[in-house]
Amino acid sequence: MSSHSLDVYMPIVILMSFGVVMLFGALLVGKLIRPNNPNQLKQTEYECGEEPVGVAWSNFNVRFYLVALIFIIFDVEGALMFPVAAVFKKFNEIGEGGIVLITFLLFISVLLEGLVYCWKKGDLDWIRSFQGPVTGPSTDNDKDAK
Amino acid sequence: MFNEVLFLLSGLLTVFGALAVVFTKNLMHACVYLLASLFGVAGLYLTLGADFLAAAQIVVYAGGVVVLMLFAVMLTGGTVKDAGRYAMLKVPSMGNAKTFSIAALGVLVALSMTTKIILGIGRSYDASKELPAFTSTVESIGTLLVTDHVLAFEISSVLLLGALVGAVVISRPRKS
Amino acid sequence: MNDSIVSYLSQFPAYKSFVSAMSSAMGFDAAGIATLLVFFVACFVVVNVLALVGGLGTYAERKISADIQMRQGPNRVGPYGILQFLADGVKMISKEDLMPRNADKFLYTVAPLLCLVGVLATLAVLPFSSGFTLTDLNIGVFYLLGVSSLVGVGIFLGGYSSNSKWSMLGGMRGASQIISYEVPVTLSILAIVVLGGGLSFGTLVGAQGGLPHEWFVLHNPFTFVAFIVFFIGALAESNRAPFDLPEAESELVSGYHTEYTGMRFGFFALAEYIEVFVLCGVAAALFLGGYKVPFNLGTGEFLVNTLNVGPLLASKVGNFLQLGSFVTKTLLLYYVVIWCRWTFPRLRVDHLMVICWKYLTPIALVNLVGCAVWMWAFNGQSLFKIVFGH
Repeated sequence: MSSHSLDVYMPIVILMSFGVVMLFGALLVGKLIRPNNPNQLKQTEYECGEEPVGVAWSNFNVRFYLVALIFIIFDVEGALMFPVAAVFKKFNEIGEGGIVLITFLLFISVLLEGLVYCWKKGDLDWIRSFQGPVTGPSTDNDKDAK
Repeated sequence: MFNEVLFLLSGLLTVFGALAVVFTKNLMHACVYLLASLFGVAGLYLTLGADFLAAAQIVVYAGGVVVLMLFAVMLTGGTVKDAGRYAMLKVPSMGNAKTFSIAALGVLVALSMTTKIILGIGRSYDASKELPAFTSTVESIGTLLVTDHVLAFEISSVLLLGALVGAVVISRPRKS
Repeated sequence: MNDSIVSYLSQFPAYKSFVSAMSSAMGFDAAGIATLLVFFVACFVVVNVLALVGGLGTYAERKISADIQMRQGPNRVGPYGILQFLADGVKMISKEDLMPRNADKFLYTVAPLLCLVGVLATLAVLPFSSGFTLTDLNIGVFYLLGVSSLVGVGIFLGGYSSNSKWSMLGGMRGASQIISYEVPVTLSILAIVVLGGGLSFGTLVGAQGGLPHEWFVLHNPFTFVAFIVFFIGALAESNRAPFDLPEAESELVSGYHTEYTGMRFGFFALAEYIEVFVLCGVAAALFLGGYKVPFNLGTGEFLVNTLNVGPLLASKVGNFLQLGSFVTKTLLLYYVVIWCRWTFPRLRVDHLMVICWKYLTPIALVNLVGCAVWMWAFNGQSLFKIVFGH
């Protein structure tokens, strides 16, 4: 079906604006009926009953970044595969399914190679095993603990 | 009518998001404003009838690249505390030849772009012609990817493999 | 293809007369405004019903966990304690709105907003029934995947902006968990898209039938495993146990929402419960036949043939039956999700990542390949069709 109107996307905009209105509405209602007595103790961060020691983030681990990198590559591959997967059925019905299948499988096999490479090189391990001291690409506090 | 409303909303979101990215001093805030700007771009794609592209924009950019950027900002310490270290709070001193030439180039680019836009508005605008109807782009893109552009499709997978291996090799913690 | 609730309603003569009445009252063509009104009312109803579902989800969780642990659960507020979530809501609104002194004010407010907006935007494509889907986009499933990753950004920002060690760690772990598990979920959905031949929920649900052997989950062994992979991935995406390390009470105090009080925390929790409902709904739609009713009751043919009811009325009744079918399947999966929480111990963070990247992703890839080969080899017929011939 083709049309000139974008009315089908209206619920998306409406729902997103509902989210915004809900949040600010609830906060507004709360502002009217909730107490407001801030003091030093209430505004410090919670550290199991002690005073917070040090800055909140001192020990970044590069594995979070690695996971995000690997994820984004797989995400783009997934995004590329969606249109091909969507038309596969139609090509199958007209008999050209084999060629599309081979195209699809070639694409997936390259993706699989990437996964195997990361696996073998230990990038998918959450806790890396090294012998000896490690120098990370960024900061100096790169232990194997958390 | 909703076409215009969506275009206006998306355009405003894109432009103001981009302006906020440039003018904010906090890198984390900049990432969040970038998220808003990318959503605006997705909305603009919708107004042009490219629904798959809009969804791909949201999936890849808003869901992936922004998270990657947030992690990268955390990794390199681009928080407000370190703003001084990266000279975001300082204005570069005037009188440097390099600064002047870069600024002149920037002004030239901005001027040429605005001139083009203004001249484009002035050209004859035929409001009687209708836009082509919106169709489902998923099937057309899929068909093209396996017929005309199958080589590009396969090469893109190799390109992604190269990107994966390269990024992982660079970011690996090295043994000393 | 691009159906929506407006195109469904515009079949009825009452709607047409409403539009023409509005046009004559306002002087210009009021079709756009009528569309806006209908969408607004429909979205309002959907959001309220789902917020109710989210609230009752907390109640259901407490009651079911009580049942599993052989105790009573809430039974004071209202009959059988069913109004407990209202009492919780009132409590949360009236709590003091604290913000840590060093917190990032803008991000502190934006984080629950992103979670909530991300979840509410997924409601637009959820296939409640063949007529009541708010909008059946051509890119339905893909759009849903994209928008639900906003929740991950929201969790990360919530953890970061609180400026507390527990929150930061919980936020980082939560974000990496969500983005990691998106990969097997995407691959499982791709397997279904290959079989269904389209990205819109209408196409994917339409390719299934009403009876269990016509559902995609029993289509071939690969989709069965894909259902399990998708379900595990959905558990992890919504930070439900056994994957709830980002909000683990015994480990990180409360993870990314440690420093959130009152209604801000309420929105994180509401977003989580609605997200579980949405993911269960997607699983029901993609794997369990969605809104299809057995014996073709949903299309109204049965009523037309037996009771000689008018086709328009019969299709309306059929739509309600379809809605009931969808909701039943979704709530069944919701119960299983709650059941899983109180049965399994929590996973350690490195186990979590190992499961995703070393087990679920290869299995999902194999499923995708298997489904594609099955589609080509058997021309898309299900196992039952090949064996039994119908």
